[in-house]
Amino acid sequence: MSARPVIGCVGAIVAICVCLAGANVPVAAHHAFAAEFDADRPVEFSGSVTKVEWVNPHVWIHLDVNRDDGTTEAWAFEAGTPNVLFRRGFTRRSLLPGTDVLVDGYQAKDGTNRANGRDITLADGTKLFLGSSGTGAPYELARPGVDTADPR
Amino acid sequence: MMGHWFRGSTVVTAVTAATVGAVISVAVAGIAGQDRDQPTRPAQTPDGRPNFNGVWQTVNEAHWDLEAHEALPGMVMQDGVYDYEYAKVPAAPVVALGAAAGVPGSLGVVQGDGRIPYTEEALRIKEDNAENWIDRDPELKCYLPGIPRAMYMPYPFQIVQGTDKIHMTFGFSNAARVIHLDDVDLPPDYTYMGHSVGRWEGDTLVVDVTEFNGRTWFDRAGNFHSEALRLTERFTPMTADAIWYEVTVTDPETFTEPWTIAMPLYRRLDPNATVLDYPCIEFAEEFMYGHLRREQLVQRWEGETMIVEITRKVPPGDRLHEWYRR
Amino acid sequence: MTRRLLESFGAAAALATVMVLLATGLVGGQVPSSTPWGHPNLEGIWLDVYATPFERAIGLGDREMATAEERAGRDQARMGNPGRNERGEDGRRDVAGAYNAVYTSAKPAGPRTSLVVDPPNGRIPLLTPAAQREIEVQREWRLMLLRNTETCRSGARGCAGGEYGPPSPRRFDVAPFYNTGRMNRHDGPEDQSLGDRCMTGRTPDFNGFRRIVQGADSIAMGYDTGQGQGFQRVVYLNGSHPASHIRLRHGDSRGRWEGNTLVIETTNFSSKFPFRGSGENRRLVERYTRVDEDTLDYEATIEDPTVWTAPWTVRQELKRQNGEQNRIYYEPRCHEGNYGLPALLVGRRVDEQAFAEGRGPNPFSLDTATCVGGLED
Repeated sequence: MSARPVIGCVGAIVAICVCLAGANVPVAAHHAFAAEFDADRPVEFSGSVTKVEWVNPHVWIHLDVNRDDGTTEAWAFEAGTPNVLFRRGFTRRSLLPGTDVLVDGYQAKDGTNRANGRDITLADGTKLFLGSSGTGAPYELARPGVDTADPR
Repeated sequence: MMGHWFRGSTVVTAVTAATVGAVISVAVAGIAGQDRDQPTRPAQTPDGRPNFNGVWQTVNEAHWDLEAHEALPGMVMQDGVYDYEYAKVPAAPVVALGAAAGVPGSLGVVQGDGRIPYTEEALRIKEDNAENWIDRDPELKCYLPGIPRAMYMPYPFQIVQGTDKIHMTFGFSNAARVIHLDDVDLPPDYTYMGHSVGRWEGDTLVVDVTEFNGRTWFDRAGNFHSEALRLTERFTPMTADAIWYEVTVTDPETFTEPWTIAMPLYRRLDPNATVLDYPCIEFAEEFMYGHLRREQLVQRWEGETMIVEITRKVPPGDRLHEWYRR
Repeated sequence: MTRRLLESFGAAAALATVMVLLATGLVGGQVPSSTPWGHPNLEGIWLDVYATPFERAIGLGDREMATAEERAGRDQARMGNPGRNERGEDGRRDVAGAYNAVYTSAKPAGPRTSLVVDPPNGRIPLLTPAAQREIEVQREWRLMLLRNTETCRSGARGCAGGEYGPPSPRRFDVAPFYNTGRMNRHDGPEDQSLGDRCMTGRTPDFNGFRRIVQGADSIAMGYDTGQGQGFQRVVYLNGSHPASHIRLRHGDSRGRWEGNTLVIETTNFSSKFPFRGSGENRRLVERYTRVDEDTLDYEATIEDPTVWTAPWTVRQELKRQNGEQNRIYYEPRCHEGNYGLPALLVGRRVDEQAFAEGRGPNPFSLDTATCVGGLED
C-alpha cells in the first residue's frame, strides 16, 4: 500500500475502482455515478446560473452554457447533497441566477445535456460552497481545502 | 417577632408546595393506572390548551375534489356512447376495477359560493390538470402531499402536542409537519410541506404556513397553486374528539382573491389507535420506473384476460420524464 | 396575627408559584427540565457531535475511552484527507469521484473508543451460522456479477474472494435473497441499493439529527440522516404492538417512563429493511435519559437471535442543537429529487443498446458497484 494517508486502491493502473478516503465521513456516496455518467465524455464549460434545485439527494445547478460560437445552451449539473450545505449556513440565496460559474465533469450516458459537476468553481477560481456562510455548523471538523480555503 | 413570622410562613409554604406537588403526581399516576389500549385523555393540557394529542383522520371526500361534485363512474374517464358530460365512462387505467374505481360525490368544502376563484389563466391550467390527472398528480408518485392536502387525505395522522412545537406525522408516505410555536429561522429553501408558525388565540390554534415550492396539489381534481401560496389555518375544538379545521388560501398568482375551506377532523377512537405507514415510495416504483426495466413486468395478456395499452402523455416541464422517457 | 398569617399565605403562594415555574423552566430562560404534565423533558434537536468508530479496535481490549493522542491522531488523518477533491488520472476513476469535497462533512473524533459498549470488548457478538451463510450467499452473488470487470482482472480489493472470467451464465438470474445493497447490475429498481431508492434510513440510527417533540401520550422523533434518508417515528406511551405479521420499516415503538428514563421497545420490523443483516426478528430497546440542559444519554440494545449470538448495546451522548436555525431540519428525504435512480437505469439501457449494436463493451465488463466511496450496510 502506498504511504499516502488516503485509503487508496493499489497502484494507478486500476482504471475504475476508486476507494475514496471519504470512507471516514458519515455521508455516503449516494449512488454509482459511474453508471449514470460517461467517463469518455468529459465536459468543461463556463456559464451563467439560471436555476438551482436544492433537492436531496443531489443539488442540480442549471446553467446557460457559453458555446464557442457565441450561443448558449441549457445544461444541468448534478452536484452534492444540500443538507451539508444548509448546515454550514448556505441557503437558496447563496447561489442566485445570473452567477457565473465554471464546471468540469462528465456528460450523461444518454447524451442529454446533463453532467455531473465534478468540480464547480466561481469565476474567480474559488470552489463553490467552500467554507461556511454565517454561523455554519459548529460541530464540524474544519478541514483545509474543504471547509476553509487553505490548501493542505 | 421575625422568628414567629418565618415559622408560620414556613409551615404554610410547605403545605402549599406539597399540595401543588400532589396535584402534579396525581395527574401522572392517573395516566399510569388506566387500560393501556384505551387511554383517557383530559380535554385540556396542563397549561389550559385544548388537548389535540392522538390519532386523527378526516372523513370526507375533499381529497378527491375540494369543490362540490356528484359521484363519477371512474377516476379516469373517457367519452361514452353519448356526447354529454354526464355520460362519460371509466377509461382503461381503471376499467378493470369496476365499481371500486369511481369517485364518491360531495357537497364540497369550499366556503362561500363553493367555487375556487381561479384567474382565467390558472383555470385553464386546472382543467388541463384534471384532464391529465393520472399523468400529473404528484400523489401518484408518492411525493410529499403538502398542506392542506395531507390533512384530509384518507390516511390517519398523529398529532403530538409538545411544549413549543406541535408535530404531525402522516401515514401517507411518512410525511410530517412541525408547527413552531416559538421563533425559528425560515428554512433554507422552499418546501413541499410548508413552514408552519402557530399561536393560540383562546382555544383556537392559528397557524400561518408559507415557503411552499408550488409542486403540490390540493386534491385529485387538479386544483393547484404556485410558490406564492400562503395559508392561515385555524384548529378549533368542537368536542374533545373533533376539531373544526379551517384554511384560508391566498395565492395572488393563481387566485383572484383568498378563499376558505373548512371541515371536521375526527379523533380515531378505536382501541390501540396507531398510525401505520403507507410506504408508497416502494409502491410507486413500478409506476415511475417500470418502463426502464431491462425486461418489462407488464406483458400483453391474451384470451379472456384484458389487453390494456396505456400511452402515457408526458406533461411538459416534468423533468423526470423529459430526461428519462424511453 | 391575622395580617401576618395572610402575609405568610401570600409569601407561600408566591414561593410555590416560583417553584412550579422553576420546575417548568418558565423562569430563568432555560429549557424546562419537566414538561407541564410532569415527564422529564427530552424535547429539542439532538445530535452525536463526534465521530466514533462503531466497533472497538481489537487491541484496545475493554477500554471504553480513547486517549487524547488517539483522538488527535484520528482528527489529523482526516484533516489531511483531500477526500473527493482528488481528481483521478483517467475518466473512470474521476467520474466515480462524483463531486468535490465541499459537499461532505466530518465530525471531530469523540472520547469513546467505540459506539458498542456491550459486549465489554466493544465488538458486536458472533453471528449465528445462518447469518454467516447469508453473508456468504450475498458476497458470492455480488462477486459473480463482477467476474468480467477490470476490478477482478486486476485483483483489486473490490473483488477479494472472487475470480476473473467471462460474464457468468447466472448474471440474469433473480438474486437468491432480497437485495438491499449495491450490485453490478441494473435490471430494475430491485437491483439498486436502498440508498439509491431513497429508502435506506433505518432504526436505530446513530449518525443523524433527531428532533424530539414530546406529548403526554406519544412522542414524535424526526430523523435527518444520510443524504436525504430521513424519516419519522412515533413512540406511543400507550397501547400495544400490532400482530406480529404486521411488518414496518421502522417497527412499532411503545414507550414508558422508568423514573427519569424513557424506555422504548420496538418490534414488528421488516426484512425488506434490514439493519446490519437483521430483519423481522429484530427487537430494539432504547433508553433516553436527560443528563443536563444540553445532553441526552442514549442507549440502544439490539437483539436478533437469528443473526447475533447475543444482544449488544450502543451508547451515545447526544448534544442539543440550535433550534432557531431551522435550516438544519429541512425536509430530510430524497424521493422527490431522486433523478439519479432513473438515470442509473437509463444509463444501463444505453450501454446494453450499444453492446447489442456492437458499439460498446459488454455492460457486465464495467464495474458500477464497488469502491464508489462511503458506507453501505
